[in-house]
Amino acid sequence: MPVDASRRDQAWLWGYLAGLVALSALTEPIWLMLGLVLILALAGRRAGVLLRRAALATLLFSGMVSLAFAGYSLALDGHLPWPWLLTVNVRVLAMALLTFLFMERVNLFRALAFSRRLSLLLVLAMSQAQSMRRTLVEFRQGLESRQLGEPALQARYRAAARALVWLLDRALANAHESAQALRSRGFFQ
Amino acid sequence: MHIPDGFIAPQLYLPLYGVAAGLWAYGARRLGQDLDEAGLPWLAAITAAAFAASFIALPLPGGTSAHVTGIGLLAVLFGFWQAFMAGSLVFAMQALLFGDGGVTTLPLNALAMAGAGAAAARGIYLLLRRLHSPTALFLAGWIGLVLPALLLALALGIQPWLGQDALGRPLYFPFGLQVTLPALLIPHALLGLGEGLVTVLGWNLIQRMKGRYSAG
Repeated sequence: MPVDASRRDQAWLWGYLAGLVALSALTEPIWLMLGLVLILALAGRRAGVLLRRAALATLLFSGMVSLAFAGYSLALDGHLPWPWLLTVNVRVLAMALLTFLFMERVNLFRALAFSRRLSLLLVLAMSQAQSMRRTLVEFRQGLESRQLGEPALQARYRAAARALVWLLDRALANAHESAQALRSRGFFQ
Repeated sequence: MHIPDGFIAPQLYLPLYGVAAGLWAYGARRLGQDLDEAGLPWLAAITAAAFAASFIALPLPGGTSAHVTGIGLLAVLFGFWQAFMAGSLVFAMQALLFGDGGVTTLPLNALAMAGAGAAAARGIYLLLRRLHSPTALFLAGWIGLVLPALLLALALGIQPWLGQDALGRPLYFPFGLQVTLPALLIPHALLGLGEGLVTVLGWNLIQRMKGRYSAG
């Protein structure tokens, strides 16, 4: 693993965490907007794509809370809560944008290289999770393909419980196999 | 649905990070002498299973669905510490690798869902299993979903009090407890019925594969 790249990613990780704390503490819309512009500048050509991703990722929760609070304020005292809408939505967007920029620029596995075991834990968990997720999609498609219409509620419950049990069984087998693989390669020597 | 960054005030999430970090460090030791050759692959595998479990749709009457958390079943099968550590890692992976949920809300999610949810599920199960095992399992699944919802409602509901400007206007999540408690508790009390049912069905299937799992 290149040491320079690893150090750069670790510096990004600490910078990212400090940036998140700073953004979460800001309560003036002008500073939050400056923060947002700064992150967009850091993103460079990818700014538009990342901004779109960040907006989509936060839209459901932020949109729901913003609409509810706007409606509540309108009903209560007849005007929209502009300071709150601006402050919170810009903060949420800036923090999500920073996260997507971090995800794009930084290899998390390399950023966590300061702890060999933490890095390995993440690699093992992620690789297994992706494989399990793909199999679950196949289970769902299998259930749907065996029915003429929408599967009955009972069939869907049984399928969910069986999928959960398959996951646990697979996890048990994976743990055993990974332990043997690590031992045979002398990882813990 | 996970709470994104920006709705929780630092006055809450920073102390929660302190509490969670202490529990994560202790949990890592509990899981096998600082994650040795048996503990580390085991934690990775349970984490992967918990992560993938969130993609299983829990059917609801009317054609809609919610997502299984599996915290109740994990706690009943493997014990509190494994459920807590695996659940926490899942939230970290979702936030840092997929941008789902927040990094500042990570300790809140971990302590409420993987911590309190797993502890309550395990406790209820141990308390009631001798009286009637299926009821104990059902309640473990139900409480594993409902107690975290209560804690998240409390955490969100105190935000207007924790962060407000000179005019008393909220700076973070805007609704108080009178809104957050019913908004989160009522739907989760109903969703918990499905989670309880899946916990009972899952446990029964596992009993047919005897000897392959050991309770915490």
